[in-house]
Amino acid sequence: MTGTDVQFAICGSAGDGTIAAGDILKRTMAAMGYKVIAFDIYPAEIRGFGKCISRVRVSIEQAYSLKRRSDVFLSLNDAHAIPHVGEVRDFGAVVYDDAPIATIPEGAHISAHIRPAQLPYGASFRQISDKVTGNARARNLVALGYLAGLYGMPRDAFHKTIGRKFATKAASVTQVNVRAFDAGYDAGASVFKLDDVVMAPPPVGADGSRAQMMTGNGATVRGLLDADIDCFFGYPITPATSIMERLATDLPKRGGRMLQTEDEISAIAATIGAGYAGARAATATSGPGLALMTEMMGLGVIAEVPSVTIVSQRGGPSTGLPTKTEQSDLNLAVYGGSGDAQRIVLAPTNVEGCYRCAGIAFELAEKFQTPVIVLIDLYLSNRYETVIPPEVKPFAPKAIPDAAGRSSGPFKRFAFTDDGLSPRAIPGQNGGVHTITGLEHNELGRPADQADNHQRMSRKRHDKLLAATRHPGLTVAKRFGRTGKVDVGILGWGSTFGEILEAMYAAEREGISCSAMKVVMLSPLPVHLIEPFFDDCRIVLVPELNHEGQLAHLVSGTLGRPVVRLDRVTGAPMEVDTILAEIRRLALGPAAGNAA
Amino acid sequence: MSAGLHYVVIGAGSAGHGAVTTLRARDPAARITLVTMSRLPFYNRFDLPRYFRGTTDWRNLLAVAPQIYDELAITLRRNSRVDEIDGRARTLTFSHKEVVGYDKLLVCTGGGGHLPEVLVEYKSLMHGFATFEDATRVARALPAKGRVILLGGDMIGLDLARTLIDTGHRVTLVAGEFTFWPHRIDAAKRAELLAALSRAGVDVVTGRTPVAIEAAAKPARRVIFEDDSAIAGDVVMPFFGSMPLVDFMLGAGVDMERGILVDPRLKSSNESIWAAGDVCQIWSDELKEYRFLHGWKNVRLMGELAARNMTGAAEEFDVTADFAIGIDASGHVQSDFWEQ
Repeated sequence: MTGTDVQFAICGSAGDGTIAAGDILKRTMAAMGYKVIAFDIYPAEIRGFGKCISRVRVSIEQAYSLKRRSDVFLSLNDAHAIPHVGEVRDFGAVVYDDAPIATIPEGAHISAHIRPAQLPYGASFRQISDKVTGNARARNLVALGYLAGLYGMPRDAFHKTIGRKFATKAASVTQVNVRAFDAGYDAGASVFKLDDVVMAPPPVGADGSRAQMMTGNGATVRGLLDADIDCFFGYPITPATSIMERLATDLPKRGGRMLQTEDEISAIAATIGAGYAGARAATATSGPGLALMTEMMGLGVIAEVPSVTIVSQRGGPSTGLPTKTEQSDLNLAVYGGSGDAQRIVLAPTNVEGCYRCAGIAFELAEKFQTPVIVLIDLYLSNRYETVIPPEVKPFAPKAIPDAAGRSSGPFKRFAFTDDGLSPRAIPGQNGGVHTITGLEHNELGRPADQADNHQRMSRKRHDKLLAATRHPGLTVAKRFGRTGKVDVGILGWGSTFGEILEAMYAAEREGISCSAMKVVMLSPLPVHLIEPFFDDCRIVLVPELNHEGQLAHLVSGTLGRPVVRLDRVTGAPMEVDTILAEIRRLALGPAAGNAA
Repeated sequence: MSAGLHYVVIGAGSAGHGAVTTLRARDPAARITLVTMSRLPFYNRFDLPRYFRGTTDWRNLLAVAPQIYDELAITLRRNSRVDEIDGRARTLTFSHKEVVGYDKLLVCTGGGGHLPEVLVEYKSLMHGFATFEDATRVARALPAKGRVILLGGDMIGLDLARTLIDTGHRVTLVAGEFTFWPHRIDAAKRAELLAALSRAGVDVVTGRTPVAIEAAAKPARRVIFEDDSAIAGDVVMPFFGSMPLVDFMLGAGVDMERGILVDPRLKSSNESIWAAGDVCQIWSDELKEYRFLHGWKNVRLMGELAARNMTGAAEEFDVTADFAIGIDASGHVQSDFWEQ
């Protein structure tokens, strides 16, 4: 990473405008042409004044994850911010309000906790806001302006973002916020800068005009919409709820339907029903919701009905850690349900991947006539990245059911074919009359429990999916870094792959022979790509955010090859340093005794 | 020594830093807080001229690695201004309204630049030289081979003048009663020293009192004298000695004149408060007066001695020794003030 690479962290209480300030910052930076990754943390409590943190990493070269230590830290609420001061790197900046309203006890002010090698910047945000706007509500904008002034960021770029943010409100709202921002900007610009944080302008020619700041959930919605989704059925659950909320607004505008059902079981049932009727239908949930959906998903498998389920993982089991991230639903997504119920599971590793996977999920579901799960997690759902959406929708249009135009004879909806894919029909099509049931059935769909039939149907439903690993236009697994034989290979999935990439590149700079591979398709597993990777690596490390090493088990069980597990369940993304330390340890010699 | 005691030291210059390290060495169990208005960890003010020799990164000016405060378990509170002390309740209140209790307090806030009344209104047209930030601002305003006008010319200013001459700048000294402060010298000695400065390359102006400063195009400043004559330079810097920074001590319940009055053990009239460095006036039994003892070395030694006395010692600071100023073998002005 060369040039600008600055991570800002803003910490405050719910109601302080913490997330709003971070939002304006990241959107402005993206519009200027920087690469941006951002992640907001909200309190778990619905009521009260819980902690909010907005972290925004701004860089010229592409970054893959948030940094462990921020360069600049802004406190809008010292009580919440004090525990995080240590997350600021040496010679980075800690910015705070130095004029609290009332007397405070010893240790309650953040200045008591700033480390000796960090640089303090105090300013009277509350007073400035009060002076220029008549109240203290805009102190978040004052503080944001202070940061912009301190680091010489262009004032106009922020004005534009503020204008857009408040475009739906009265013009006076924008004016007040711009006034507050400008007052903070002037204060920041007049301060003697002592830290070594450098915000160099984006490279000449960097065009942020098409770049959009999207969350993983936002990109997922965009992918669903660009794939021309017809209907969505959902039941709210953190961290997937915003998918439903966005679709509730956007889907009807495109002629689609969004229905909030009474629970997750109804949501998946309606999704499968709509899929059976020929619609492109999807639902979204989290681990607890997926647990409820598994029985219905089995119906989708045996009845070979296309459906798309977005699953954003959070800490579990049960209610678990609803506002913390985790990757512990891999087993549930891949194996969950009764019987042999193999389905396609995609796990994008970044925000753009969410877009691609959500969109192509319909194509896969229709082609392979099966439920498709897109497995993301809270870190990816809520993480912002700069994305340049394609100008042309990149997804295949809805498949035309094969029965169209037929006129006579029994329709073998579940016919055995060479590739396992049977002709499909939707209700009402001439010549497409067939039976559909959750019972094992024959080629016509009629209940049939003969041993040979069940054997053949089970194999059919399994084998037809294998071709999905070679589906054109879909990256099912990809290797990064050094090619050929390497000492340490790092295999990853989902949001953790960003940290894996950063760690791998850092290790490479240290002279360690290493390479990384992301696995996007978790089911069926693209063995033809993963096995050669194992062949090239003396040892393979699998970092993931679950306790049991679920990908490690899946891969080592499928390939019969040992891996070294690196499992963390802290509720937070895995730290680059944690992965890097393990790579260094493995590079020193043969694997220790924790190979799975 | 005394588990649980909270020592607070205000001022993180050489006196304050010397004090906290001494306190920690003598009282491993104590809580120690070092308070400073500076945003930077400890650097020696006498090192600031190095900026003009190329040390422009403040990290290279630090006297110690910042992490030493973590290692010594000393809480360093920077960017923190103390507004008031309550000597009875043994609390201090920061400008950010935080109230902190202490068991023993050492004040070593040093002195701020003194400015004659006639020049106060022109403060914005002059450059101070007390902090790293000041040094940076001077350097930015001063072109290569540019001219600096030193008003007054105390020993801090003359120390800077040596560096500026060495680095190819031109220096004009407007000499007056504060020239060579805090040395007290007679007219003959003064003339001898000024001549030495001239030989060293300083343009010395005598017998003229500055009454105004003007902004100009190039060079950027003009100093106007009472006879309406003027000289021009790129930067004007006042060096009229220093005044103890003790405003926050008003109401603290300690005796003060210009500085905090302390006994030879550096203890004030309040049982829990000590003072060291340029901020204090020390009682001299021999001279029967309170006197300031300036100079880099004195300041450091005072901080260390005060810390020892706060932790049970009963040492007295030598207030009889006066430091000398003269001309060394190579013909340059030399002063004990500059001894580190």
